[in-house]
Amino acid sequence: MTPAQPAQPTYQIHALSTLDPPSLERTWQTAPHPRLPIVATCSSDKTIRIYSLTNFRLLSTITGGHKRSVRTAAWKPHVEGESVLATGSFDATAGIWRRWDNYLPTSQAAELLANTDEVAEGSNEAATAAHRPTQTLDHEDDEEDEEEWRFAVLLDGHDSEVKSVAWSPSGMLLATCSRDKSIWIWEDLDDGDNNFETVAVMQEHEGDVKCVAWHPREECLVSGSYDDTIRVWREDLDDWGQVACLRGHGGTVWGVAFEGVAHGSGAGEDGEEEKVAVMRVWKEQEQVQFRALSGPRILSCSDDRSVRVWRRLPKEVDARGAGNMPSIIRPTGLDEHWEEEATLPPVHDLAVYSVAWSSRTGLIASVGADGRIVVYEERFVAKDAQAMETDASLPDEQQRPPKQPLTEWVVVAVLVGAHGIYEINHVAWAKRADRGRDTTKEEEILITTADDGSVKVWTVGK
Amino acid sequence: MASAVQNSNPTILNVADLPTRLGPAALSKAGTDRVGTLASIFPPSAYSLDCWPTGYSSSDASDEEDVTEEPIDEQEIYDLISSISDPEHPISLGALAVVSLPDIAIKPTLPEVPESVLRTVSVLITPTITHCSLATVIGLGVRVRLEQSLPPRFRVDVRIKEGSHSTAEEVNKQLADKERVAAALENGTLMGVIAKMLETCQ
Repeated sequence: MTPAQPAQPTYQIHALSTLDPPSLERTWQTAPHPRLPIVATCSSDKTIRIYSLTNFRLLSTITGGHKRSVRTAAWKPHVEGESVLATGSFDATAGIWRRWDNYLPTSQAAELLANTDEVAEGSNEAATAAHRPTQTLDHEDDEEDEEEWRFAVLLDGHDSEVKSVAWSPSGMLLATCSRDKSIWIWEDLDDGDNNFETVAVMQEHEGDVKCVAWHPREECLVSGSYDDTIRVWREDLDDWGQVACLRGHGGTVWGVAFEGVAHGSGAGEDGEEEKVAVMRVWKEQEQVQFRALSGPRILSCSDDRSVRVWRRLPKEVDARGAGNMPSIIRPTGLDEHWEEEATLPPVHDLAVYSVAWSSRTGLIASVGADGRIVVYEERFVAKDAQAMETDASLPDEQQRPPKQPLTEWVVVAVLVGAHGIYEINHVAWAKRADRGRDTTKEEEILITTADDGSVKVWTVGK
Repeated sequence: MASAVQNSNPTILNVADLPTRLGPAALSKAGTDRVGTLASIFPPSAYSLDCWPTGYSSSDASDEEDVTEEPIDEQEIYDLISSISDPEHPISLGALAVVSLPDIAIKPTLPEVPESVLRTVSVLITPTITHCSLATVIGLGVRVRLEQSLPPRFRVDVRIKEGSHSTAEEVNKQLADKERVAAALENGTLMGVIAKMLETCQ
């Protein structure tokens, strides 16, 4: 194993706050809200806690829904005026919870709602749902809202513990996965009656399915498993099926994530001239085209202590017969060919439980049983002249895919013992919303959760 | 048989003599036996014979070299888990040689971080027969016992000793899976079995 300290750490991880009061039992995961400065945490004490990201205080606790540990949670995207949370538990069920967006101090709420006397009390919510204004939230300390989370429906179908839940980018589909080796896809019928329909049950994995994540734009799902594989799933004429199986990890795949859509074009945004220059060269080459053809990459982490990035081979390359596939168009036409693009520099000494890929900065963060937080940055490798030459001579090299992006991953920050002696179960990037932020630009925070129940918020800066 | 509680050697000898033939009738007495006593009379190996009677004063266990540094040493780990009962027989894992002192190791979890207080306790267990379907349950019992007894800075790594079990790899993966272990702890039936095994601990 290489040294734990990066050669040139260029970022610092600073403790910003903890979320208080914490759960006193293991916290498995946090889910930052897509719109609001709040975060949901999943605890072994069978509760889901909602905290503010502006003052880091507990807003409400959802209890009574799950009979065992809450393992996972995800916010439904594109819902206006209301927040919809899906949760998954060791009790083998997934729950759907709803709450009107009114986390505001009484005075501020009164101001905003001055023109309308209707106050969300949950009694008439269906009628007012469509007309609720989208509110700007910057401050709240109201802890009396606990009862306002409405239990909507329990999704029952898995035979054993639900490990992960994820909403498709449109919010139409919910994927759940379990120790029973299956992945279920449910369609939210959005019929006002909280009806969900089972769209598909995929059972190809040979072990617990530990994690699921959706493509940022398409209805394409990726899963990681106890069988050490990563699988990619798509719908073909009403049938969901496996389109790729990625092998390489030497242990349980604990986490998967797709590359965010925003990243790539904005990589040079912080005005570093050097980087911009390299970017320009890079763009002039085939790289951007290559990336565009490949689509978002997949990030994974494993019990084998590694963090890896996977890339889909562009379809054109397939047709030319690159890789091991014969150049015959297969009946389904949906099979995808993925290959490992990079194994990130090894830092973790134990299982890596979670990875997060920032769509704003392109930074990757990983955490695991060794208590470390590691941040990696992708850097463009300047090989201009050489690269240009080979560019021209490409046709000589048969069956060679378009030149691979000239990038390398560098460890830019390592924090040992981020939660003291405790293992870290999850890491997530979220938009910074506290008063200490620089309001002139969008900043990001890291949120980590640990075995002692603690949830910590960090800034990552230069 | 009830006199076994009083450390009557011959009685215990008889019980221990027939570990695999004990009927259900004998099971009920398991909880009342002082397992430490059992093991002290029937040490599973020559090595254990040396260290068992001395109990916590492990200074004469010549194989352990760094006992002065660590407040919790291999001997203490052994004492914690050797008294666990086998799920099938009312015999301790120590007496059955399922766990043994040479198969316990305590090492720094992060050797590259000298200031780290994290320690990994590795326990290799040797199931009594190679196809013992209860290997997972035994391993889980050992892991639960250690996780409940040790301070949180200890990481517990329980594995089946190489070559001793036909599906060792499968069992090891399961025992190392934090999520599965956590879920197992919430499984009433399984925890009932584990609780019974741990009844004989202290």
